[in-house]
Amino acid sequence: MSWFSSLNSVVIDFDQSHLFFPRIVITLIAILGTFILITHLRPVLRAMRSGQYQFFVQHADFMRLLATLALIPAYFWLMEFIGEWLPNMGLGFLLASIPFVFAMSMLYCHEKTRRNVTIITANAVIAPTFVWVVLYHFFLVSMP
Amino acid sequence: MEFLELLSPSYFLLAAAGSIIGIIFGAIPGMTATMAVAVCLPLTYTLGLHEGLALLLGLYVGGISGGLVPAILLNIPGTPSSITTTFDGYPMAQRGEAERALKICIVASLFGGFFSAIILFFFAPILADFAIKFSYVEKFLMIFFAMSVIASLSKNILMGVFSGLIGVLLSLIGTYDVSNGGNGEYRLMATWMEPYLAYGFSLLPVLIGLFGISTIIEEAEKGVKENSLENKVNLTKGTPFRFNVFKGQTGNLLRSSSIGTFIGMLPGIGGSAASILSYTQQKNLSKNPEKMGKGAPEGLVASESANNALTGGALIPLLSLGIPGDSTTAVLIGAFTLQGLQVGPLFIGENIDTWYSMVTGLMFANVVMFIAMFYAIRYIAKVVLIPKFILYPIIVMMCAVGAYAINYGIMFDVWTLFLFGVAGWIFGKIGIEVAPLVIGFILGSSAEVYFVKSLESYGEYSILVTKSPIALVLWGLIILSIVLSVIIHRKSKQQATEEAAQ
Repeated sequence: MSWFSSLNSVVIDFDQSHLFFPRIVITLIAILGTFILITHLRPVLRAMRSGQYQFFVQHADFMRLLATLALIPAYFWLMEFIGEWLPNMGLGFLLASIPFVFAMSMLYCHEKTRRNVTIITANAVIAPTFVWVVLYHFFLVSMP
Repeated sequence: MEFLELLSPSYFLLAAAGSIIGIIFGAIPGMTATMAVAVCLPLTYTLGLHEGLALLLGLYVGGISGGLVPAILLNIPGTPSSITTTFDGYPMAQRGEAERALKICIVASLFGGFFSAIILFFFAPILADFAIKFSYVEKFLMIFFAMSVIASLSKNILMGVFSGLIGVLLSLIGTYDVSNGGNGEYRLMATWMEPYLAYGFSLLPVLIGLFGISTIIEEAEKGVKENSLENKVNLTKGTPFRFNVFKGQTGNLLRSSSIGTFIGMLPGIGGSAASILSYTQQKNLSKNPEKMGKGAPEGLVASESANNALTGGALIPLLSLGIPGDSTTAVLIGAFTLQGLQVGPLFIGENIDTWYSMVTGLMFANVVMFIAMFYAIRYIAKVVLIPKFILYPIIVMMCAVGAYAINYGIMFDVWTLFLFGVAGWIFGKIGIEVAPLVIGFILGSSAEVYFVKSLESYGEYSILVTKSPIALVLWGLIILSIVLSVIIHRKSKQQATEEAAQ
């Protein structure tokens, strides 16, 4: 039974203990990943070639998708930028949110009638201001 | 009864407000209870513990319940769990019985909510008392069991396990925390990431990104189409609602609520599983199964009592073991941590007043949900009309506030939001499942501590099996869940091929 006790015993070096569990998890991911690749690669490739599997949904709206993927980071960046320029007043949030809410609403609105644009503009000013007043001033939530 | 002193008028006001805001979120198709909690998080930061909990529980109950409104009126489930409500709700609405259908659902929801709150009240302390005796070995096995259940219930077992492991790996990024007996070393990242990721990714920005931002990106991909209002139905005419519709439904109510509570207790399974299971059970046992799907009240009762029973059920493992039952409770666990609450086996015993106030809040939120929906349903039904182009920018804005303020002003948390928003959107397309990933992410770091500490102190692998009878039982359960899942998957595959052959 000596082979069992030698396999069974485990000593974890404290200096290296931060790597013990991650190594196990990575090994498992690697094994499982390879297994999934072997068993699923062919059917997946076949489905991709025949057009059964498509990454994007049918009739994807690439304009709105790409604009969204650009608008959100731009909003976060602007928020940080203004927040560093005018710190400790939550103005980074307020001044970045107004144009962001306006731009995103315009992007998502399909019928830009006069009525809708008025609602969008009013909402873009009122909603961030309301959140800023209530959360920053009454609830003391920190904002950039 | 000391806890009664803790319940101020503002406590009830916040529970009510939470419940109503939750209903509104639930009623808007695409918005879920998870998002309601995520968006309202910043409000809880400065509230006291009990007030914050009241708001969160209200949001949870309201968010799950609100989904029935668009399910009946527009044939779109407002939350995934109300999918089976559409089966009978929309046909009834088309017959002009919309208000009757709504009120049947509301009463069933209240019953389900109460039922599960009572089970929670009696069962969670027992489970916690039992779990107090757990050492690191059993705690690790408990997490292992939870993960095996999640993986086995995902669409593809292999991908479920894989997603769970990815979640665990993500949770390990950062330092091996000294306060947990680690050595304080960084791992799994390049040197330039250290200033940002020294403590790893924050839980809540990750969750808000995965559930909030990714939904917006998905919608953008689909072109943000407004719900067509052509098939919206008139509320005011048709057969009025009477309580006698529940005659003969006691068995259905009890069974569906039990199914909902039980499914809620299993970690990682969403509400849709609960309502689908109880709906099919009712169909199997019904006297008139052919009527179901064509506007039978019993279908509504089964669906709605099950998905509201989920609320109390999901809180059982959360409060007694620290294991979240679904995505909403995953966000709740983060919110509790912000309030300084450590949920786990010791929670109930050490915070008995908080525990009572939580159960009270849960019950009260159900009552408010009932009153608000039952008497104001006509007005609430109008929120399904709020256009998405107004709603979505506000949601992104609220997510940003929530993420930024979680650690008192860390911009990296806001970027985490975007990172995981995009990741969540891609995950859905390549077969990685978000539920196991999230549970893996939440439990990963504790799993590491329990696992490594057990091995360090005993020095042998076999201790994981031989530590105690409880460990053996847990292993039995783990094996059982794996075997069962393989059988279930085989069966459903067989059914699929048979159906394809027909």
